[in-house]
Amino acid sequence: MTDVATPAQPELPAGPDWSWLPEDTAPPDAGQLADARRQTITALVDRGVTYGVPGARQVARNWRLDPVPHVIDEATWSDLEPAVAQRAAVLDAVLADLYGPRRLLRDGTLPPELVLADPMFLRTADGLVPARHGLVLHAVDLSKDPSGAWVAVQDRADAPSGAAYAMVDRRVVAQSLARLYRRTSIRRIGPFFHALRRALDAAAPAGVEQPQTVLLTPGPHSETAFDQAYLATMLGVPLVEGTDLLVRDGQVWLEGMAGLEPVDVILRRVDGEWCDPLDLRADSTLGLPGLVRAVRAGTVSVLNPLGSGVLEHPGLSAYLPRVARAVLDEDLALPGPATWWCGDSTARGHALAHLDRLVLTYTGPGRRSRILGWTLDTTAREQLAARIGAEPLHWTAQELVTGAAVAEPASALRTFAVADGEAYQVLAGGLALVAPPGEALVSAERGAVAHDVWVIAVEPETGPDPWALGAGDELAPRRAVALPPRTAENMFWLARYAERTGDTVRLMRATVDRWYDHARRPATPGGRALGVLLDALGASYPGGWPEPDPLAAAISGRRERRPVRELLLGTEPGAVGWSVQRLADAAAAVRDQMSNDFWLPIASMERVLESERAAQRAPGSTTGLVPVLDRLLEALLAVAGVAWEGMLRDPGWHLMDAGRRLERALYLVESLEATVTADLPDEIETFVLESLLIAHESSITYRRRHTAHPDVANVLDLLVTDEANPRSLAFQLDRLRSDLAAVPSHVPTDRDRVAQDLVDLVRELDPRSAAAVVGGRRDQLVEHLESLRWRLRTLGDEIARAHFAHRPSARALGDPWGLS
Amino acid sequence: MRRTYELVHHTRYTYDQPVTTSYGRAVLLPRDLPEQTRHTASVVVAPEPADTAEQLDYFGNTTSYFAITRPHAELEVTARSRVTVDRPELDISALPRATWSDVARMARPGGTVEADRGEGVDSTDGIGLVQLREALLPSRHVAPSAEVREWAAPSFVPGRPVVEVLVDLAHRIRTEMAYRPGSTTVSTTQVELLDLRAGVCQDFAHLMIAALRTYGVPARYASGYIETQPPPGRPKLRGADASHAWASAWVPGAGWLEVDPTNDCFVDSRYVVLGWGRDYGDVPPLRGVIFTDGSQSRLEVSVDLHPVDSPDAEPGV
Repeated sequence: MTDVATPAQPELPAGPDWSWLPEDTAPPDAGQLADARRQTITALVDRGVTYGVPGARQVARNWRLDPVPHVIDEATWSDLEPAVAQRAAVLDAVLADLYGPRRLLRDGTLPPELVLADPMFLRTADGLVPARHGLVLHAVDLSKDPSGAWVAVQDRADAPSGAAYAMVDRRVVAQSLARLYRRTSIRRIGPFFHALRRALDAAAPAGVEQPQTVLLTPGPHSETAFDQAYLATMLGVPLVEGTDLLVRDGQVWLEGMAGLEPVDVILRRVDGEWCDPLDLRADSTLGLPGLVRAVRAGTVSVLNPLGSGVLEHPGLSAYLPRVARAVLDEDLALPGPATWWCGDSTARGHALAHLDRLVLTYTGPGRRSRILGWTLDTTAREQLAARIGAEPLHWTAQELVTGAAVAEPASALRTFAVADGEAYQVLAGGLALVAPPGEALVSAERGAVAHDVWVIAVEPETGPDPWALGAGDELAPRRAVALPPRTAENMFWLARYAERTGDTVRLMRATVDRWYDHARRPATPGGRALGVLLDALGASYPGGWPEPDPLAAAISGRRERRPVRELLLGTEPGAVGWSVQRLADAAAAVRDQMSNDFWLPIASMERVLESERAAQRAPGSTTGLVPVLDRLLEALLAVAGVAWEGMLRDPGWHLMDAGRRLERALYLVESLEATVTADLPDEIETFVLESLLIAHESSITYRRRHTAHPDVANVLDLLVTDEANPRSLAFQLDRLRSDLAAVPSHVPTDRDRVAQDLVDLVRELDPRSAAAVVGGRRDQLVEHLESLRWRLRTLGDEIARAHFAHRPSARALGDPWGLS
Repeated sequence: MRRTYELVHHTRYTYDQPVTTSYGRAVLLPRDLPEQTRHTASVVVAPEPADTAEQLDYFGNTTSYFAITRPHAELEVTARSRVTVDRPELDISALPRATWSDVARMARPGGTVEADRGEGVDSTDGIGLVQLREALLPSRHVAPSAEVREWAAPSFVPGRPVVEVLVDLAHRIRTEMAYRPGSTTVSTTQVELLDLRAGVCQDFAHLMIAALRTYGVPARYASGYIETQPPPGRPKLRGADASHAWASAWVPGAGWLEVDPTNDCFVDSRYVVLGWGRDYGDVPPLRGVIFTDGSQSRLEVSVDLHPVDSPDAEPGV
């Protein structure tokens, strides 16, 4: 027998590769790894890290992160880093040329049609790109080919996303794999964000000191809304939507509650053609009309420049090596995959002959799409060939970059480069994405899982704290940032939903307490009191009870009843589950205003409700609700704590507090209307009043003041007129007035008059005479509470009118086509 | 025939509800060209805009930006200019005899024009390779289709000089299509037009451009006007009293040749050019974004292009 050397088959490692760990560091065992993965998921939820569309009707998919890091050794990184920087520099030069002299098109370095037929080439942006470092932020997805060489699979230049995910990944993994993280010398990624901040300042129009920068977002429904908000927070810039901005006198302004503030730099996450409905896509509601005018006037810098999307054309890869030589006189260090742009007839011939092996990308008008040639049957392939034949300029064929091992999942490393001084600075690491099994294309949209990227540093990094750079001896002026009405409105509602959740939960807990003792005895005083409380909640009676007393229904004004569990867990308006969702939505819309701690209690509420939903208890039962209600209250106390102890007293905070006071006052009035306006027999009333005091956190005070059973007059005194009781109506109105005084209205409004009326109404209420029963009813109290309720609702409307004024909607001017 | 015109293009929008802010962009100022001298030109907007700006766009047209930031119920945009047009009478028989397929061979990617570039020769009549090739591409309002290819086929007879193709296409459009204002909108496609057999000058220009591009002849869209009152003894042209549009095609050796399919003629001194683009979408006379709670608006447009004795004559009434 002769020895025949069989080529070694690349094998998939059974588990993660830990060979890079220092010798004295043991890799985590299976149990530790499972723990780390669990902890990672918890940490992501606690920080509200989402990917995809958050919203009431669609549950936000959590960002998927596997704590096992992707490790890049120093030697590899020292090759990769300059290559990524060079690619950014080449694309920067291309951008400047395409919107300037267009030499690359005139001399044929690039086929003119490749650019001219690309809808992302925005002719409107002609002449608006700086000659150098227009491309401030560049991201590129890299994959390894079978030889182990890196290939630039896709450039992201229009509005690159993911850098903030990389940062949050790092923070989470540093905790869940704390032992390994401490024992490994890893390059920091923070300096990249300081460089980005510097680049934004450097991009400001000439002569602007201390530029005002904003991050322009498409809104909380954007797929990468988290990334945008987190980046805004890290950079310390306001997160704004197009409707928060306007162009006046050739300048972009942020419309705050107190007036207009000039904006000097816009870091945009809205795709280029959607940025200005006047000069770009007329059907866009994400931008602001006149932006192009302001950019042309030189009063604002938009980054990356409008039109940068043209750099994402996959066909560029075929020509980039010669472009690099033309613009930098250098060889391209980081090439793309083998690419055939079908506008070239030879390339098209190759593409059509190899459709079954290539990835085809459509770049015509409408959505960009990719087709994997090998997944098509003969008919579909013929149809594709016909589409390519009909619109060759819009199709690019590329080889799929796959690793050496056939069974290895597809993966990509997204790296980021930022223009910094004379060069591009590369984020030391990035975002590694691993596609699910069987998926050839790597993207979070297609379910890829993220990994943190650890670039090993042999020498520990030293260097000054970047925040210290440039700091002088003098205190910087305190800078107030304008608060857009949309943000103010979200903060107001955030507080209202939080308060509504808390009020409902408290009343529910007081009611459920009675349930256990009295649900079986509807005719007893305790049972009848339970009925009144259930009416006040709008909850169904226990099974076997007689139909609701029509009188009770008339008093509470509620016709619709739902089982208590549904009132808690449901997602329909009025349910606690719904309020929590709305609270989370409102918070997501103002994420840049809130401390990261704010997400912990929200995540905890969602978790508690979710696990109770999953508990599948008997229908109609209230078993197990008290612990759930306790957990919710605990979380709500944390929300209130963050709001009270952790937030600057700026106009946003005052409106938030006003929202909370208004909502609490309303709930107080409504719960009084539902419980004490009817003349109940004393033995029933005692039960009801005790529960009411508990629901309004006032029973301890009451017991200290009064030894007798509660009576209506004293309850009214404590819950309505006592200014020292933080749960009383008088207290809420006092806070409301001082909140409103801190945010003067700039439009004529009845806001302050209505607030004064409310204060007067409460002062006029004499608990003794209001509690008096005349002819079996408390008509004076009924009337008083009704006036209060009506005025509180009016006050809500007036606050909205004064502070959340919505601009009329934008529409296109009628087209004069063919008119005479 | 040299002629000087006083041009007034008046547009008025009347709204059912107040408009708080208007942003507008107009392409209403004539181009200054060797054969078209712009003496004076201005766009006046009422109510008075808080901000205005003029700039040259990618295609070299003058565009005017305005922003009105106080509430208004009516918007008026009046463009006034004084131009002298002096286009030599066109002698068709003296034009280059290049066939349409010669033109296609020259202009296409890898064609002879591109090959010449290496020698440092400009064989594009000063137009430039990039602009020429751009004029072959589909654009937002001009898309290739089998229907246009089929409709145009009889005009593209093998061996026919491109000038004669232009004459034939313009003649066929004039005779096969009815001029009917209001029958189409900005989104009407050429396929729909061929079905309708009726449209306005913008449609006819688009159809002609579509046909030319389909067969490889670079073509662009021209926005402008024709004389409102014809000289004595000459008929009033279709599209007078309104914005007019026509097509322009590359004839090697002659440059861009302007043809008006609506009136079946070559463009002469009765025409004033506002701007050129790939299609209507690049040079609409007026576009804008308004902020309003209303939904209704009324639009009135009037155009008056009448001859005056000299560039300094008193404005007409």
